[in-house]
Amino acid sequence: MWCNMARGLLFDIKELSIHDGPGPRITVFLKGCPLRCQWCHNPEGLAFEQELMVKTAQCLHCGLCKKPCDHAECQPFQRCLHACPKGLISLCGEEVDAEQLAKQLLGYRDFLMDNGGGITFSGGEPLAQPEFLLALLQKTKPLHRAIQTSGYVESPIFEAALEHIDYVMLDIKHTDNVIHKQYTGVDNALILKNLELLKKSGKPFVIRIPLIPGINDAVENLENTAILIKDAKALVRVELLPYNPFAGSKYPMVGKKFALKFDEQESRPIDLSLFKKHGVEAVIL
Amino acid sequence: MTERIQTLLKNCLNKKHHALRQPMDSNLTAAFQNPKLPPVVRTSLRLKALLQAERPIVEPFQKIVLQRTITDVPGIFCEQELEEIHKAHYIHELGNVSNINPNYDKIISMGMEKLEEQVKTRLLQCQNEQDMAGELFLSSVLQSIGAVYDLCDRYRQEAMTVGNTEVAALLSRIPRQPAKSFHEALQFFRILHFTLWAEGEYHNTVGRFDQFMFPYLQRDLERNILTEEQALELLEEFFISFNLDSDLYPGVQQGDDGQSLMLGGVTREGKDAINLLSFLCLKASRELKVIDPKINLRVNKNTPLSLFEEGTLLTREGLGFPQYSNDDIVIPGLAALGYSLEDARNYTVAACWEFIIPGAGMDVCNIGALSFPKVVNAAMERYLDQCKDFEEFLGKVNQQLQQECTLMCSSFDNLYFFPAPFMSILMEGCIENARDISLGGQYNNYGIHGTGIATAADSLAAIQSLVFKEKSISAQELIGAVKADFKGYELLQQKLRLDMPKMGCDNDEVDDLAAYLLDAFAQALSGKSNERGGIYRAGTASAMFYLRHAAETPSSADGRSGGEPFGANFTPSLFVKTKGPLSVINSFTKFDLRKTINGGPLTMEFHSTLFRDGDSITKVAQLVKYFIQRGGHQFQLNAVNREAMMDAQIHPENHAQLVVRIWGWSAYFTQLDKEYQDHVIAREEYVV
Repeated sequence: MWCNMARGLLFDIKELSIHDGPGPRITVFLKGCPLRCQWCHNPEGLAFEQELMVKTAQCLHCGLCKKPCDHAECQPFQRCLHACPKGLISLCGEEVDAEQLAKQLLGYRDFLMDNGGGITFSGGEPLAQPEFLLALLQKTKPLHRAIQTSGYVESPIFEAALEHIDYVMLDIKHTDNVIHKQYTGVDNALILKNLELLKKSGKPFVIRIPLIPGINDAVENLENTAILIKDAKALVRVELLPYNPFAGSKYPMVGKKFALKFDEQESRPIDLSLFKKHGVEAVIL
Repeated sequence: MTERIQTLLKNCLNKKHHALRQPMDSNLTAAFQNPKLPPVVRTSLRLKALLQAERPIVEPFQKIVLQRTITDVPGIFCEQELEEIHKAHYIHELGNVSNINPNYDKIISMGMEKLEEQVKTRLLQCQNEQDMAGELFLSSVLQSIGAVYDLCDRYRQEAMTVGNTEVAALLSRIPRQPAKSFHEALQFFRILHFTLWAEGEYHNTVGRFDQFMFPYLQRDLERNILTEEQALELLEEFFISFNLDSDLYPGVQQGDDGQSLMLGGVTREGKDAINLLSFLCLKASRELKVIDPKINLRVNKNTPLSLFEEGTLLTREGLGFPQYSNDDIVIPGLAALGYSLEDARNYTVAACWEFIIPGAGMDVCNIGALSFPKVVNAAMERYLDQCKDFEEFLGKVNQQLQQECTLMCSSFDNLYFFPAPFMSILMEGCIENARDISLGGQYNNYGIHGTGIATAADSLAAIQSLVFKEKSISAQELIGAVKADFKGYELLQQKLRLDMPKMGCDNDEVDDLAAYLLDAFAQALSGKSNERGGIYRAGTASAMFYLRHAAETPSSADGRSGGEPFGANFTPSLFVKTKGPLSVINSFTKFDLRKTINGGPLTMEFHSTLFRDGDSITKVAQLVKYFIQRGGHQFQLNAVNREAMMDAQIHPENHAQLVVRIWGWSAYFTQLDKEYQDHVIAREEYVV
């Protein structure tokens, strides 16, 4: 059964994350995402496979890492992980067993539960490794479990996970399907469908909007988002995430190019009253 | 903050008062440098000359006065005398009494006239008993008291001249009479503290301020002669006074001036001691955002989260304090070392973190420092290739550590401190025994820091993994690589740095080795006594040794290159990427820290953006509480901003007020030497 054998791929665990749910939290980042948001600031979370992270800026170009080696772990990359004299190469993506990870997380049970905190699954897209995630959710049971998700997942999986989740942070990146597809690579229909399921479930949830200057920060989109959720009883609030000007900084490390084309200067002040108008509480994180 | 305080603060930060300063007139030094006079007499003559040379400065709007106009405190010995003293004695640092906590309230509550009477009575006794040393000491005390009267009288005159009747009235009563109000008590403290620096002592700590000052405040509030707002205003002016002359105080770097102030904790009877004044102090420090006084907070596992939140609000200001001490660990730790339970409950900190007893401890709590990495390196070079298993090697490390401690403890022979007759009036027993505090007090223990625990434990873990478990490298090869500073062994060095178990990652394998080293250290000092009848105390601090010891230890088996510094105090190695703050806390609270209770905090740096809102303040406070609940002894966290620090190295002019914590004290970043700046930048910064 998958419950006992589930393994998954992580790219980070962050202790004491502050903005990932109520109370102090430990956030687990699952690797791999079906979306390709142009503003994504965690490019190492996109691929579902292990990959090399190379701090190219400090590279001496000595070529030592390109020499053949006989380490098994290096073979897929045709590059030696251990050869860099400056230690600039590391492997991104650690395969872990759900059982072991759950045990590790439960080790912080007292601290998390005493302080009203818990664990948060983020990514990448955590629901994109459903078996692993479900196993983790079950095995970490007494802990408060939250998820940060794009909502882009088949609805049965979304519903199954929801059963074991105490708190949801769902991204609504854009209400317009065409624009959504243009900037994230996927349709938003599934996301909006899952939003309805979430509203029906009664689970407390937060809607997060990453504010991308000139793309989704116009009054119209924000207001449309507010309208989508204004009747949701379990909505905690809307959290607006200001654009991260260093979003592109990690792309060269995973051999990718940051291709977002917009004018960063275009960013405009956000008027929270347009949420208030619809009875929706909103904050800027 | 009131407008008056804003003006006082601005004047202080703009160094307006520096223009009034001048060096000591060299014609006046002969009087106290006379080689025919005993040192204690010379000390009081110097104080007299110095205070006489001081020019009273009173602004019409000031409520608390006294500031230095003479920039230096010339020595009482000539070069040749000093040379002889150094030959015959062990001299600690500059030779002056330092790093202790005087009992200010003893005199504030008694008044100096009453003290004078006591001294005169005792002096008569000495004369009858023909106790020459006692006579010299006590007449020097009287001379010093007279010099303080004279200065205060001239300040009173000046206050009248500028029309500051409030200050003039204050100085017509104190320091001769006991303080009757909070205002008088603050001014009295300022007089005593000012005089200590002028006498030549340094790292003159403030102590348990909220304890000894609260009765004055309480009385004023009850009598309705002071409101809480007025009290805060006075307190803020008083706090500013710690920053007026601090650039003239001796220290390794500016900011290392030892003006630590302790809040909270328990009474001598063990009752919860936090009071209104504790909170006012936190508030004053938060509003002023200046580096002195340095705030410390005593807590325990039952301390409410709200107090940790108050503390975190102060941390957010980026001053590097409060520093927390855990009563649950410190009190039993000190009691086990032989301090009476009442005294242990009354502990405060010395300049940085060393636990000392107000008025009673003439402990030299930073007399030496053990370098853990040096011990491991020496054992590795000498014995590693002969050891058949890791346990045998650990035994050799222990043996090396014991030898190192024995050698160190035998090096503090014939300790001599310059006399400090004025300081003596604030220390228990000195007048009664007619002996200067420099000769010893009620407690005369010596503290030994322990530097580089993580570097040493990580080195042991690497040796255990590679040489004994994996057997992928021979002892000789590892010794050779370390000796060669990893030249030609770059790949091995990377493996050592990145792939080995490290302290700070909640890995029992390596944390247990640290526990072994700490226990061995405590064991090595246990049972040893010093020539003053005191014992030795093991600690977890580094002070400046994180640079000095690192420079002496070329490279180490954890992959640290020669010249690369150790972590400051009780922290993971600088180049280690830990799993996060919880793992670091877990790693550093696995030990019985009561045994190594000389002091030395776990230090963590958090990015300043972490402290943005109330929610995050609570979460950080919960983290501090977690450390205390797990049995940590001392904790210090910093809100830092690496980008700002790096910019400050290029454009110092734009960052004059940027404050960072160095080892046990905070400083203005741009006033530090570059090596200290670089170390702060290199520390792991948690962004959460």
